[in-house]
Amino acid sequence: MNNTSNTAPIVAENLSRHFGDVKAVDGINLTVNQGEIFGFLGPNGAGKSTVVRILTTLLGPTGGTARVAGFDVVKQADQVRRNIGVALQEAAIDPLMSGYELLELQAVLYGIAANKMKQRANELLERVGLTAAADRRVSTYSGGMRRRLDLALSLIHQPAVLFLDEPTTGLDPMSRLTLWEEVRRLNREGTTVMLTTQYLEEADQLADRIAIIDHGHIVREGKPSDLKRSVGDPTLLINVSREQNDQAKVVLAAFGDMRPTAEGTLGVGLKGGAERVAEVVRALDEAKILVEHLELNQPSLDDVFADATGYRLEGADSAPQVD
Amino acid sequence: MTTTRSVGILATRSVRTIRRLPSAFFPALAMPIFNMVVFAGTFFAVTKIPNFPTDRSINWYMPLGIMMGAAFGGVGLGFTTIRDIETGFYDRLRMSPTSRLSLIIGPLTGTLIRILMMTTLVIVIGIALGARFTGGVLGVLCLYASALGIATMGAGWGLGLAFKFKDMRGAAIMQLSIFLVMFLSSAQVPLDVMTGWLHTVARVNPATNILRLARVGLVNESNADYLSWNAVWGGLVAVVVMSALSLGFALRNLQKLSD
Repeated sequence: MNNTSNTAPIVAENLSRHFGDVKAVDGINLTVNQGEIFGFLGPNGAGKSTVVRILTTLLGPTGGTARVAGFDVVKQADQVRRNIGVALQEAAIDPLMSGYELLELQAVLYGIAANKMKQRANELLERVGLTAAADRRVSTYSGGMRRRLDLALSLIHQPAVLFLDEPTTGLDPMSRLTLWEEVRRLNREGTTVMLTTQYLEEADQLADRIAIIDHGHIVREGKPSDLKRSVGDPTLLINVSREQNDQAKVVLAAFGDMRPTAEGTLGVGLKGGAERVAEVVRALDEAKILVEHLELNQPSLDDVFADATGYRLEGADSAPQVD
Repeated sequence: MTTTRSVGILATRSVRTIRRLPSAFFPALAMPIFNMVVFAGTFFAVTKIPNFPTDRSINWYMPLGIMMGAAFGGVGLGFTTIRDIETGFYDRLRMSPTSRLSLIIGPLTGTLIRILMMTTLVIVIGIALGARFTGGVLGVLCLYASALGIATMGAGWGLGLAFKFKDMRGAAIMQLSIFLVMFLSSAQVPLDVMTGWLHTVARVNPATNILRLARVGLVNESNADYLSWNAVWGGLVAVVVMSALSLGFALRNLQKLSD
């Protein structure tokens, strides 16, 4: 299904959701552009799932407005539902049903014609690698298989906008990698994706733009590279021979402030970022300094998060790493 | 067409669990049979009350067993819906563009199919134990209509409470309310022999009229409650009105889930 409006696929204006005195979401403004993967980053309880529940018509806002796929989430909830696919935080799947039965159920609920249903279900099962397990009850599926089935279910009607609420929480690194690749593939095919996550690496790997939400407020928004750049210059780490150490320091000082590093390594806060690496290498070469090792360390999203909120995201360092 | 297909597939999902999880369906079959046998055996002397509508205690208690089974089977839909809400599966249903009514009618249809199965089984066993339909096929149909009606009421009530509380807090209210409605009626003895506040409550309790409808084909032909328009209209009205009210309660609370 195609976006029926010229507006951005997701637009929220002054969106709020209060539960009594608790301001879960407090006047956020958000725009997700056509064809983007938008990462919504925040710790548990920050309000990101509440925003997703509002945007997917599961929860009404107490203030502000939101339009998804060109339709108002309150006044045109049915049209919104026809244009979105959603995989929520916990793969919400009936364990007594088989993968194929769930796809069949989803297809009927989305009004897919009976003669196209089987073909579409089989295509999706193949796409997420569950063809062999299609007739097995979901209770026998692994966590990764459930997530992939959940993704397939959200795609049955070829939605224009896809919401993924913490899609890889609890998955092993291999399953995460598979899911990431599928999200990228969907995006390449034109699907706009809004992804919530508490994994910094996931947001960094997947998202074209991110927003950081904390205590119901969006505290940073932009491209990951811009946000990281806004925190400070990247650190260029260089190893040269001991004899040329002092000479190299003089050369590097022209490119930024020297930074503390491990013994034997020189570090400089590279003003202007990655674009100036070649310039540094040329300057060292002209000074006849032999570079043994060179490494550019960008500020991480963890640094961005800490800068925006004043604390580090709990568990950010312990999230399963994927190369 | 889309709504009809949605109703069909949601009903199929409900019925499929009978085969997938028979341990959950077995009590729903066993309890009405147990109630019928135990009540008929324990209170067989009730037929000695002057002008009691039947001389067979099983004729009196078989409809009660079925009505209780149907009412609890109906509110059972509330229990399964609470489970679906708690696991998040109900969010999947709500996020689909299918009509909200089909989200109620679909599972309700599945529940009514279960109630039909239960009613048929209890009738067969009841007849084997000596129950006789004095009202013939019409009497049997009245019993089925009552069972499906009270199950619909229970289902609407159970769904409404499930949507309102969204967790097991609703379950206790479902069970208690069904017990109260069933036993503060002419469940055990005819309205004529009841006295005091119990008589007053039973008289206004719609379950009394529905039980009367259930029994019209099982009482003695000479009894005033034997098959006649006078004996069935109150039950039919109660079924229609209470079903409409309970389903309206369910639909309203479903729509308020996003509030």
